[in-house]
Amino acid sequence: MIAQAIRNHPRAVIPYVTAGLPDLDSTGRILSALKDAGAAAIEIGIPFSDPMADGPVLQKASHLALQAGFRMDDLFGRLGQWSAKIDIPLIVMSYINPLMRRGLHDTLARLKDGGVKGVIIPDLPVEAKGIHADCAAVGIDLIRLVAPTTVPERTREILAQCGGFVYAVAVKGVTGQRASLPEGLQGQVAFLKANTELPVCVGFGVSKASQVDELLGFADGVIVGSYLMDEVMKASDPAAAAGRALRILVNGVPRSGQG
Amino acid sequence: MKGLFGDFGGQYVPETLLPALEELDAAMEEAFAEKAFWDEFSSYMVHYVGRPTPLTHAKRLSAHYGCDVWLKREDLNHTGSHKINNAIGQILLASRMGKRRIIAETGAGQHGVATATVCALFGLECHVYMGTVDIARQRMNVERMRLLGAEVVPVEGGTATLKDATSEAIRDWIANVDTTYYLIGSAIGPHPYPTMVREFQAVIGREAKQQIVELSGSLPDAVIACVGGGSNAIGIFSAFLDEAQVELIGVEAYGRGNGQHGASISFGTPGVLHGTRSYLLQDKDGQVLDTHSIAAGLDYPGVGPEHSFLAASRRARYGLVTDDQALTGFRLLNRLEGIAPALESAHAIGYLEQYSREKHGSKVVVNLSGRGDKDLHTVIGD
Repeated sequence: MIAQAIRNHPRAVIPYVTAGLPDLDSTGRILSALKDAGAAAIEIGIPFSDPMADGPVLQKASHLALQAGFRMDDLFGRLGQWSAKIDIPLIVMSYINPLMRRGLHDTLARLKDGGVKGVIIPDLPVEAKGIHADCAAVGIDLIRLVAPTTVPERTREILAQCGGFVYAVAVKGVTGQRASLPEGLQGQVAFLKANTELPVCVGFGVSKASQVDELLGFADGVIVGSYLMDEVMKASDPAAAAGRALRILVNGVPRSGQG
Repeated sequence: MKGLFGDFGGQYVPETLLPALEELDAAMEEAFAEKAFWDEFSSYMVHYVGRPTPLTHAKRLSAHYGCDVWLKREDLNHTGSHKINNAIGQILLASRMGKRRIIAETGAGQHGVATATVCALFGLECHVYMGTVDIARQRMNVERMRLLGAEVVPVEGGTATLKDATSEAIRDWIANVDTTYYLIGSAIGPHPYPTMVREFQAVIGREAKQQIVELSGSLPDAVIACVGGGSNAIGIFSAFLDEAQVELIGVEAYGRGNGQHGASISFGTPGVLHGTRSYLLQDKDGQVLDTHSIAAGLDYPGVGPEHSFLAASRRARYGLVTDDQALTGFRLLNRLEGIAPALESAHAIGYLEQYSREKHGSKVVVNLSGRGDKDLHTVIGD
């Protein structure tokens, strides 16, 4: 379902939204706005107190969401409503600790009940084999990340335990906007595509329509997080701001003059 | 998964770092297998650090508590704490690996000073991440690091203490993994760090065991050490693990009590922080809780995974000492033995009050992990 949604989209952009910022009502409105703006799928980020793979923007988003009183039970209570209304795949991104706290299997089952199609866990290495089986048993895709530092042998091992799409980490570093993307990226994506049937989507560091255009030239999809959350945190109307920002990325850089 | 201690430990880090951890693991295994590596380590221990450190018979403290108390004097190491043992070991490893840029996290500043020191000694670039709260309460160590040529990078995120400094150091490492060696200061983090740090700190236990037998004629009844991340404790415990009759006691920071403390084993539940699964102070959603200790080096919501294993398997037990009890220990040791302990180590001294009530007349080795000059302004309350 996730793979199909990405493949069927002419310009698959996957936005990331920190849940509960400033509250879950707003998150619901942001999800609808992102869907209307043409998102191929949406990542819902579970805020975490110690997000070690995140740069300043998503750290701040996590911190503010937790300060605003984010609770897992409240999120579980909303997921069903959201997935009933939004007909693109919802994917949850979370560090491993909040998912394991009350039992990984039960937490995955609750996500599945809420209509979540996939899960991304940035601090879960491929060596943690049991979790792949847990996801398979529940019927949820475990989307794995491949880094610029991952060697080919290890890449094959990761691809063998990956579902939904392959998350190609564009940069050596944490999440956040970069002025330019590394040169080896196209080769990295080509290698991944040659070794998997799954779509390959690129994330970390993407913020500009021109970068999205460039990436969609060789990748199946692009993930955008910090840039959108920066817009959301600055705006008085977060949903409108998120929709506006995503629409620019999905539509791409205009080829002829527009008014 | 590599680096497991029972159900604890492992390597829960972003994929970008996994290859670096494998490289580090391989380099460590190779170095540890070479006699020449340990000869070089020992040479620095003797001629630079000033080892072996004495085992002092604390006679007046013994009379005060009604126990036979021996102090392992890590406070007499160069730079003032046990942290230098690990810093020397890891800088030798970093040099073998050809890394020229060193990063570290620090809480009390002792590990930061130790790292800045070895970087000066080896001519390497040094960046130390430190929470702004800790920078304020450990000013002297901040100035020492700067004098040693290190950059002290303030960390404002989260609670602005050791936990957040560690996260920020990991973020730096993810971004600069090709050039950078992360010199972690405690027996925490992903494999191979907990094992590596234990092996470099094991020198404390080897010396203490030999000294107590030579000086007193037999093994002690107990070994007591403070536990934040737990590197000084695992270092001294390691030599006594196979001596079943020696009780191993870690002392956690109970802070102000009432939920404001750093006692991960006593009050935590298993969870993942900074790449390792261990006892963790967290809420029911898995969010890491704020901690408090008067000792910056114990102000950490996690603990080394091997301590979690030792607690779960009951080979060691973990007691509690409040801020006030630690301060009492600090003052007592000054007055009775002429020694100013670090506030971290003062927790181990403070525990003697409880221990001597239970085990009157027993013989104990207390690891005096560091000296207290850095804490004078906290104790005096300037």
